[in-house]
Amino acid sequence: MLTRTEGIVLRTAVFGEADLIVTYLTRDHGILKAFAKSPRKIRSRFGSSLEPLTHSRIAVMGREDAQLPRLTQSDILRPFQTLRDDYTTFVRASRLIEMNLRFLPEREPNHDAFRLMMQALAKLESGRKNLYFLYYKMRFLQICGYLPGLEICGRCGRSSSERSPQYFYLAHGSILCEHCSAVRDEARELSAGALRVFCGMLNWRFATIDRFRVGDHLIAELDSLLEAHIAYVLARPLQSTVFTA
Amino acid sequence: MTQNIINNLITQLTRLPGVGRKSAQRLAFFILNLPKDDAQALAEAIVDLKEKARFCSICSNIADADPCDICRDEARDRSRICVVEEPSNILAVERTRCFRGVYHVLLGALSPIDGITPDRLKIKELVGRVQNGGVEEVILATNPNTKGEMTARHITELLKPLGVRVSRIAYGLPIGSDIEFADEVTLSKSLEGRREL
Repeated sequence: MLTRTEGIVLRTAVFGEADLIVTYLTRDHGILKAFAKSPRKIRSRFGSSLEPLTHSRIAVMGREDAQLPRLTQSDILRPFQTLRDDYTTFVRASRLIEMNLRFLPEREPNHDAFRLMMQALAKLESGRKNLYFLYYKMRFLQICGYLPGLEICGRCGRSSSERSPQYFYLAHGSILCEHCSAVRDEARELSAGALRVFCGMLNWRFATIDRFRVGDHLIAELDSLLEAHIAYVLARPLQSTVFTA
Repeated sequence: MTQNIINNLITQLTRLPGVGRKSAQRLAFFILNLPKDDAQALAEAIVDLKEKARFCSICSNIADADPCDICRDEARDRSRICVVEEPSNILAVERTRCFRGVYHVLLGALSPIDGITPDRLKIKELVGRVQNGGVEEVILATNPNTKGEMTARHITELLKPLGVRVSRIAYGLPIGSDIEFADEVTLSKSLEGRREL
């Protein structure tokens, strides 16, 4: 059966002599792996369409339950070449790729994750990249159901005070109020400013994100918290975090 | 009994990349019909490869002696180092007969998603070779894909302060192809890298 959809290349793995197994985040099928015949050869018809982050219109051939359908067509819609041309941006974009690979199950459509990735890649071609990366991580965790709880106490549900620093407990995936938290040394302190930004970001959209002004130190604080939270949820840090960007 | 011997060879041959059951069967019967000396030579070549192959301590190429033939060759221009990802890439460059310098094999390429960091490649050794002096140019011939590009950029950042000329192999269309069928990224790179005639 021939299946057509749109996809973003997440990674490729060498298979055999000149073949690749390409992992896509697709619009209609979620994470989809496909076998591409001979793309490593110089005159391959796939050209550069299998490079990471390329948005393409693809066609795969195979039974609906086939583990590895064959990639028969890949036409570039948007190459996002500028993201690959910049070392730092690509290293950081690799974390987004890895989050998709680690959190999303194969062959389960996730339109929100695809749309978010497309919006993020378009935004990352220019502008305030630190803020876009942070926003993407937060939204992605929300889509997957792993958003850390910073608005209310994770145990009693009491609202947090936005004026004083709070303590985030990795094991709870949330902040805990003074009454519920017994031992503070296991917690990460979260400044009142970072907390306000986080709560505000839940109402933002990528289309209007440039209207907001956020200090770099607050972005760094929240980014570090999300990285720690992701490492806790996945039981190990993202491999791409060993790269310093 | 004969069937067992043939089946065993077929099973072993299917472990080779790109060789399926049918190809393995064809190869097994071809070997069966070979003169004994030829079959013996093939078997010995495989055993020799496993027993004698080692990495060259200078360039990390695979060779039967250390240093490898290329590093030992006095006629080679040691002021030019061509950096490649894998030992097999050296064979491809050597086929061109255009390059008479020496090589450096990285044994891979940087990949953040796979956790392949600079310390897992032979980058430190390359920097050491340049620091030892006598090198005028380092030609980066890593693959023209994202991993190869990242690796080339990382090496460039390390080598530029050492005052050595760092160049990158050109991008473009393969000879004999048609512009009509080139993808936009390849074509835009070849336009960027155009040269005056």
